[in-house]
Amino acid sequence: MPMSEPLLRVKNLKKFFKVRRGFPNPETVIVRALDGISFEVQRGQAFALVGESGCGKSTAGRTILRLLEPDEGSIEFDGREIVEADAREMRALRKRAQIIFQDPFSSLNPRMRVGNALAEPLLVHGLMSKKEANERICDLLEEVGLPRDAGIRFPHEFSGGQRQRLGIARALTLNPELIIADEPVSALDVSIQSQILTLLRDLQQRLNLSFIFISHDLGVVRYFCQMMAVMYLGKIIEKGPVPKIFDEPLHPYTVMLRDASPVPDPAARKSFERIEGEVPSAVNPPSGCHFHPRCPHAMDVCRKVYPDWIDVDAERSVACHLYADGRGGLPVAESAGATS
Amino acid sequence: MTETGKIEPVLDVSNLTTSFRIGGEWHPAVRGISFSLQPNETLALVGESGCGKSMTALSILGLVPKANGRVEAEHIRFQGKDLSRLPDDEMRKIRGNGISMIFQEPMTSLNPVLPIGFQVVEALRYHQKLSRGEGEKRALELLELVKIPSAKSRFKEYPHQFSGGMRQRVMIAMALACRPKVILADEPTTALDVTIQAQILSLLNELKAETDMSMIFITHNLGVVAALADRVAVMYAGDIVEIAGVNELFARPTHPYTEALMRSVPRSDRDTKTLYSIPGAVPPLTRMPQGCRFAARCELAIDVCRTQNPPLDVLGSGGAHSVRCWVRGNHDLAEMKENADV
Repeated sequence: MPMSEPLLRVKNLKKFFKVRRGFPNPETVIVRALDGISFEVQRGQAFALVGESGCGKSTAGRTILRLLEPDEGSIEFDGREIVEADAREMRALRKRAQIIFQDPFSSLNPRMRVGNALAEPLLVHGLMSKKEANERICDLLEEVGLPRDAGIRFPHEFSGGQRQRLGIARALTLNPELIIADEPVSALDVSIQSQILTLLRDLQQRLNLSFIFISHDLGVVRYFCQMMAVMYLGKIIEKGPVPKIFDEPLHPYTVMLRDASPVPDPAARKSFERIEGEVPSAVNPPSGCHFHPRCPHAMDVCRKVYPDWIDVDAERSVACHLYADGRGGLPVAESAGATS
Repeated sequence: MTETGKIEPVLDVSNLTTSFRIGGEWHPAVRGISFSLQPNETLALVGESGCGKSMTALSILGLVPKANGRVEAEHIRFQGKDLSRLPDDEMRKIRGNGISMIFQEPMTSLNPVLPIGFQVVEALRYHQKLSRGEGEKRALELLELVKIPSAKSRFKEYPHQFSGGMRQRVMIAMALACRPKVILADEPTTALDVTIQAQILSLLNELKAETDMSMIFITHNLGVVAALADRVAVMYAGDIVEIAGVNELFARPTHPYTEALMRSVPRSDRDTKTLYSIPGAVPPLTRMPQGCRFAARCELAIDVCRTQNPPLDVLGSGGAHSVRCWVRGNHDLAEMKENADV
């Protein structure tokens, strides 16, 4: 049970996009990118949003910072509702919540010396004089493992890993409490990825940062995060503590995702035979439970009714009819049997 | 060289060097690598960006741009021919016929304005001189073989109407069209979601079991290597630093780079308390160090590593595991030291 008030509480958050498509007679369709997600992030915790492309995990990250305006739902940051916050209040809140993007190249202005780019938020928020800001930037660059004088260089002079360090430094300039990290290591090589993960974990522990860590890589999530939510077509289908979800996933989709993730161990070679189908379009998701066309356990009710949240224990919940009253959940062998 | 040494390899690459001209100087991106591919074997080429793994594949197929690139080899032997000395028109008969390639990006490798079926038929008509009717019949069989649902009705659809996974299946169908002996797959699942990746990997495994083709699978993902390779060559900065059977390599990673890579990957099947980080970064092509190219990042490096590149040594008596390392190979280090001091 959470001991204190969570830093972030997201309730029934929705974001729909209108898309005009079709030729020669385009019609307007609605993509339900975020279809009512709820979760909480505790202070100092790394919370993972996991799922495949198009599940809405990046939209969630952006909507929480109101880089995209939510259509419905509430976002409470440190007890304050931010969906209704005006521009002035938002600016104050943005100091406390920052984002790291996947592609560190396209998120840095190529014509600006990185020191100036990093100092900008300090100056925009009127927190420091130019001189103080420069000093702070040098400290930050050192903190993320770059030379103190790296600020005079331009983004193209840095490698991919170094650019991601700059992205992290930028997110840290204002001493935030929450960092939303959107696939921060997926564009990086293995050896650089582990450097960045080590840096992020070190920062998390030293600065007691909270993270929303958006990723499709289960290995990275297992290393970095304490709590996780699995998303499928705009909805969270399972959430709970990371070790428990990996050891004993509840939702059949979580099982599929885990079993599909290749493990660097030839002894654990799998046949992948239970992994079927593709993620359907979010424009026209399947009726009932969105996962039923790919689910080996689909029942009649799954085709008709979207399952309610079921709290399996104090920390874990799942949206799956298998866990409704009287049904025993997934067969044990399947939940445990990743490699058998 | 391998356990199946008596059998004639399908493809034998000896001393391949691929260089690029940068600022008026030639720099080798692939540096004298040798390996062979046995019938029905999957050899994984593993390494990080810039290690030369893709260039190796392009060099085999003669696809390195001639303006700034240069391919030299003792030989690249395939079906009794030396591909490194074949004229262009002869090479064209081999590409897509005897050896075919699957690329990483299935969207950019398909022509967006031609129907899927037409693109599969094209290779068949060119190489095997089939009539349009025969070609279409065979193409449809291939699309069914790679498990494209309702292949017949989708035959005339365009690439944008297919998902990423389905496009990659089409690419595989095209690669298989002329029953090649060797498939070069360059990161074919990297752009795909994990569940789709799993399906493509199991499809490739099935196809390999059903046909007698061999495959060179290029990837940076050690999980994918473990899922499908028979043998693995680890590349770093243009060198093959270690080559071994897949079980052997994962059980006894011997080159410090291989070992470090394995300790750097966070695993989804077990808890990782601390993740190992290889310090530094791969040196740029224009500033490659003397000696072992990994030395600057290596915890075990000794003096000789910084001056001389180690040879690829065979470990043990089986001959199946080789490593390029002064410290971990079969070297008398005392003697090495003396030589280095002189």
